[in-house]
Amino acid sequence: MAPTRAFATRLALAAASTTKSTRSPLTTTACLRSNSNSSRRAYHSYDHPPPPGAFNSAERQILSAAYGHVPEHGFTHKALSLGARDAGYLDISTNVVPDGPFSLIKYHLVSKREALAPRSAEIFNAPVGGAADGTTPDAAAGARGQLLTVPERVERLTWERLLANQDVIHRWQEALAVMAQPSRVPASLHELALLSDEIHHLAGDIAVDPSWYTKRASLSTIYASSELFMTNDRSVGFGDTRAFLRRRLDETGSLAGALGSIGQWVGFTASAGLNVLRSKGARI
Amino acid sequence: MLSSNSLMRSLRQSGQLPVHDFLAPALFAPSRRCISTTTPKSNASAAAPNPDGPASAAQKPKRKPLTKEQRDFLSSALRVNQAGELAATLIYTAQKPPLVNAHPHLRPLMSHMYEQEAGHLRTFNALLAKHRVRPTALYPVWSVLASGLGWGTAVLGRGGGHGAVETEIGTHYNSQIRSLLEMFEGWEADGYEVGPELRDLVGTLRRIRDEELEHLDHALENDAKQAQPYWLLTSVIKAGCRGAIWASERV
Repeated sequence: MAPTRAFATRLALAAASTTKSTRSPLTTTACLRSNSNSSRRAYHSYDHPPPPGAFNSAERQILSAAYGHVPEHGFTHKALSLGARDAGYLDISTNVVPDGPFSLIKYHLVSKREALAPRSAEIFNAPVGGAADGTTPDAAAGARGQLLTVPERVERLTWERLLANQDVIHRWQEALAVMAQPSRVPASLHELALLSDEIHHLAGDIAVDPSWYTKRASLSTIYASSELFMTNDRSVGFGDTRAFLRRRLDETGSLAGALGSIGQWVGFTASAGLNVLRSKGARI
Repeated sequence: MLSSNSLMRSLRQSGQLPVHDFLAPALFAPSRRCISTTTPKSNASAAAPNPDGPASAAQKPKRKPLTKEQRDFLSSALRVNQAGELAATLIYTAQKPPLVNAHPHLRPLMSHMYEQEAGHLRTFNALLAKHRVRPTALYPVWSVLASGLGWGTAVLGRGGGHGAVETEIGTHYNSQIRSLLEMFEGWEADGYEVGPELRDLVGTLRRIRDEELEHLDHALENDAKQAQPYWLLTSVIKAGCRGAIWASERV
């Protein structure tokens, strides 16, 4: 059995580094970094196959096996080595996953984010690519959300994503601590940004003006704080977390509404003033 | 192909007047315009299947995944186009009242051009939302600058800056179309097919470019003679336009 495992490890290592020769862990790390960056969100094509995901197959095997040990052992090396053993690799092969526990956290974030699209199709009772035919966004939105508005769908999807944390929620504070380490912050924030973009996309939000940024920024903040709230929530079915989430979203909604009204008033007054001047014969 | 195109472009930029005198009768028939990025390759590529090695054809998927560079190119192209059309609609909106006030006969033409620009903006807004491309972060800046430019030039005269902007825009769309066609050629050389999504994109870009150049004709027809004293203004606006394109592609 042992030779087979060793062979599998080597295979996995070869898959992780792109060359045939053995690589130092450092190069492997760099290689994986660039690989994970390829999941950066840009031009989503419907015709062409998607770019490779954040993890290669060996990593995915180890991580998905290790993920099962997280509720018991947390996002730790221990869970990783148990997972590697379950997947049929040697314990040492966890160095295929160079970021260690952080890779496990990232696996959680990525897989739960990717699970959101099928889940939203289930909830809103329409094909996943409902918004794919961007030519008729209204029709797609109508078919999907039935009577739900975009903010309601955003709330529903955010709640679904929070619920996906419930198996590991008692370990999530450790994970948040790891994610808050300075060297991990950019990657963590990037995942957060991808998540809020995904939620807005699935909710059928098609605004492409400066509100694109403010909406995603506010949802990211709300999601992160709700997640933190959830780690201390002992209520049945996380009811308090949902109430917290709704309050935060309502606050943002009313703030956005107030700002919008102010903007509308300023715009109307300015154009009315301009027109009064024009009617007086000013050449402006 | 490239040389004839650059020839056309230099003609348009340096010796505009003869070309436009020549084209003036054709103003309302935009389809007669033929800039060389238009025809040859698309016909060839539509006709050609992919006579690549059978082994590779069996193994490879029909369409190649977009590389990171290609996706970056496509997102920055869509982003800068949206910013450009946003600026165009705002320029027209700001330009219209003073201009129409001074020259009432321009009203129908201005409305027509504004409608077209608004249509372009809707097209690109839909494309951005569909392909999940972020809008430019400098959106508010461009809004203010474009309104100021439109209003300022209209108060100065007959919208002298307008022709300058459209010249830059035509060149800009042409270079995008050219890059896309190069991309298609690369794929077809490797035996992949080009999906309808990108073909439609090229078609859209061509249509919009032709309409923009039609606007250039209108602008020149109406104020080319008076634009002479504004050469400094025109070149400043051209430079500003190039700078805005450069920035919007990145931020």
